Amino acid sequence: MHISDGLIANNWGITAAIIMWIVSASILIWSWREAKATYSRSIAAILAISSAFVFAAQMINFPIIFGSSGHLVGGTFLAVLLGPYAAILSMSLVLTMQAVFFADGGIVAFGMNIFNMAIIGGLSFFLIKLLTRKTSSQKWFTTSVFIASWTSVMFGALIASFEVAPAFSGGLTITLPSMLLFHSIIGLGEGAITTVLITSIQRFNPAILGGLTLLKERTKL
Amino acid sequence: MKKFIVALILIVAFLAVFIPLASINPDGLEKVAQSFGAKEQKPIWEGLMTDYSFSFISNSYISTLLAGIIGTTIVFFSAIILSKTLPSKKRKI
Repeated sequence: MHISDGLIANNWGITAAIIMWIVSASILIWSWREAKATYSRSIAAILAISSAFVFAAQMINFPIIFGSSGHLVGGTFLAVLLGPYAAILSMSLVLTMQAVFFADGGIVAFGMNIFNMAIIGGLSFFLIKLLTRKTSSQKWFTTSVFIASWTSVMFGALIASFEVAPAFSGGLTITLPSMLLFHSIIGLGEGAITTVLITSIQRFNPAILGGLTLLKERTKL
Repeated sequence: MKKFIVALILIVAFLAVFIPLASINPDGLEKVAQSFGAKEQKPIWEGLMTDYSFSFISNSYISTLLAGIIGTTIVFFSAIILSKTLPSKKRKI
């Protein structure tokens, strides 16, 4: 759901884009400060490997309905792996490189894309935290990861449909139902891929799940 | 260091396997824009590797794979630089 600059080239679009630049930049600074205070050891390896993987995974589209496709966003995946703050930073890095080098997502629309994918994706951490607060069941944890993945994609699509609405003659009456329909299916792919990735990592190398450790800390956050 | 190289090789292998299988259909938002005739302008920035490919490479597999490898490497090293700005409380290199 990378919004291109072409799609927001109208008065409302540009105004909204500027607002979202400011909002996203503020949240990125907050995330960076929080990330600095969160980790007691260097996260260079896990941050670099997971960011690079998410970039690669986003290149692989899977087909959905009506001759369209979707791909992993990876926000919830990064959130479970790194915790919410580093996940926001990691995803922002991926989006930056996509916009600068590949024109995937606009420069003017950059704040929107950061918000819809990086920030919402990273904050889906707290949804998992909320859903798992009363239980330590593995099955329910996996279900929560699925729900958070799906919800983060739907929430991003919801906001995107407002942002791009003026480019359509029917406005929001067109973008809202159609974006939510497509992304309700893309979200299922997001949920499936994310839960498979997370459960595999839990099985083979649970030590690297820093975000999971944060999830289990009940006093902090 | 070895861990980094192994991880990069695995990601490149992942791309090499999955690029030919990837759907080339428009994504959700693109599909919505095409289906309902969105008023789109030409973007102000075309990128350096638009659509994850190089215009001078005719083989689309090689072209996309190369763009993917370059992108993955850029993200990888910029993430290492980012991690250096997050000095931890008990820092051990």
